[in-house]
Amino acid sequence: MTHDTLKTREAISALADGQLRGHEFARVVETVSQDDDARATWHAYHLVGDVLRSGDAAAGRADLAFVARLQLRLKREELVIQTEDAPDLIAAHAMNTGDRGRFHTSNEGANASRFRWKMVAGLASLAAVAAVGWGVTGGLNPDESAKLAAAAVAPVAPAVQVAEQPQVMIRDPRLDELLAAHKQFGGTSALQMPAGFLRNATFEVPNR
Amino acid sequence: MKITANPGNWFRRGRDVSLAWLAAFAAAGVLAQTTVAPATSSMANASPVDAAQPDRGINEWLLRMHEASRRRAYIGTFVVSSNANMASAKIWHICDGEHQMERVESLSGAPRSTFRRDDQVITFLPESRQAVAERREALGLFPNLLQSPDSSIAQFYAARQSGHDRVAGFDADVVLLQPKDKLRYGYRVWSEKKTGLVMKLQTLDVDGRVLEQSAFSELQLDAPVSMTKLSQMMGNTEGYKVDRPEMIKTTAAAEGWVLKSPVAGFKPMSCFKRPAVVAEGSTTDNTMQWIFSDGLASISLFVEAFDRRQHGQEGLMALGATRTITRRIGDWWLTVVGEAPAQTLSAFAQGLERKKATPN
Repeated sequence: MTHDTLKTREAISALADGQLRGHEFARVVETVSQDDDARATWHAYHLVGDVLRSGDAAAGRADLAFVARLQLRLKREELVIQTEDAPDLIAAHAMNTGDRGRFHTSNEGANASRFRWKMVAGLASLAAVAAVGWGVTGGLNPDESAKLAAAAVAPVAPAVQVAEQPQVMIRDPRLDELLAAHKQFGGTSALQMPAGFLRNATFEVPNR
Repeated sequence: MKITANPGNWFRRGRDVSLAWLAAFAAAGVLAQTTVAPATSSMANASPVDAAQPDRGINEWLLRMHEASRRRAYIGTFVVSSNANMASAKIWHICDGEHQMERVESLSGAPRSTFRRDDQVITFLPESRQAVAERREALGLFPNLLQSPDSSIAQFYAARQSGHDRVAGFDADVVLLQPKDKLRYGYRVWSEKKTGLVMKLQTLDVDGRVLEQSAFSELQLDAPVSMTKLSQMMGNTEGYKVDRPEMIKTTAAAEGWVLKSPVAGFKPMSCFKRPAVVAEGSTTDNTMQWIFSDGLASISLFVEAFDRRQHGQEGLMALGATRTITRRIGDWWLTVVGEAPAQTLSAFAQGLERKKATPN
């Protein structure tokens, strides 16, 4: 891996992040459109971006399994990373995958080589979980809880069951609306100021 | 210590409603009000209370916390988390003595910016190029709640300083707001030592377990925040479709509803009607929202016409500290939403009754 190739990859990363302007932008676009390896890198970075952005639990359910596989792969990579120089390793992996030619979206292995992703991928799966889901839960008495839990409709991603007590999560847009209304007009509390307002504004369900 | 309230102009703005909101609401004997939740157990690691610290009552603590936010300018990062959910936002706050302004920029989930000038709130949703402008009357209500002679917060909660801690680099007093019955949650509040600003807030269930917490992960007190700049940003709705949700003020009685068995400590605060809500292509009729509060917790009763296609099973749901109960009452569908134990919501759900609508 030469110094130049590394530099090129950095430039492509910057391009994918929309950080380049003017001459630099033109130069890297030129590189990407002419060099197969650079183009493969470009596709890889976009695939990474797609994975990291797919934070919606409802739409991205299939991706959760993918992220889980990715994380598994990254875990396996960890050992290697501890024993080698990380940047070189990243570059080497990119080179290897580059040799194989074009990336396809199904080529999940391509993502596993950047150790920095591990952290971010963890956040991505967290984001998927953080989408508003109502836990159908107990709280009245055990019998009633069981009855209510059994009555739950449309259970979604098992990934959300990270809570200590297993909950069935549902998504209900109407309920989200009412929650938003409750927070807007029903937030009648001495604790509204300021933490309550901040809590609501931070945690607010976007109005549809 | 500042406990003097300074009811500036912005308090008065909410007065017309607040008086009505504070109409008496008597107690229900539905559930026993005996034991106090053992919410103290998990504070074992906090340092002992400073002996020199004067004892503050709950109203004093709440006023102190409130005043701190009124008088200070700050910039910080605010994080809200419950079991599986986590959200964060960047906050800018400024007060010029008369007006308060706040900017809340979401750092998680869908991008949105919320601006508040006193009780005027506008939320920008850049993805859909929509903005929602509304007045949040509840924000102007406090500290009228505390100053009012019939303030019942002290009747249902007790404040106890339970130690010291550090949050986002600031020393804070840890104050436990403990409910006196099982109808409400407790709160553990980290109040910045010098100013009283709320740095961290936990909502505790009746067993003292943390249901939800919010905190500053980073805070810059007395930060340079420009009110002019915030005003400009708030006023700049260019390129946005501004939505102003229409809320019609009403009374439950006028809508034909009565709570036959009141729930201890919770008083009716206000009642609104929301004209036709369009959700995913379907239109529903007027939804009534009847709001109750005990001063710290609030509960909304939503009543709409029952629709077989939309309304499924009756049930209980939870999101962070918020609980929801749904129930069918004849031709109506009731959704109770609130930061209170399920049994409290259940008491509301069982207590609501249809009466013939009375003319205004």
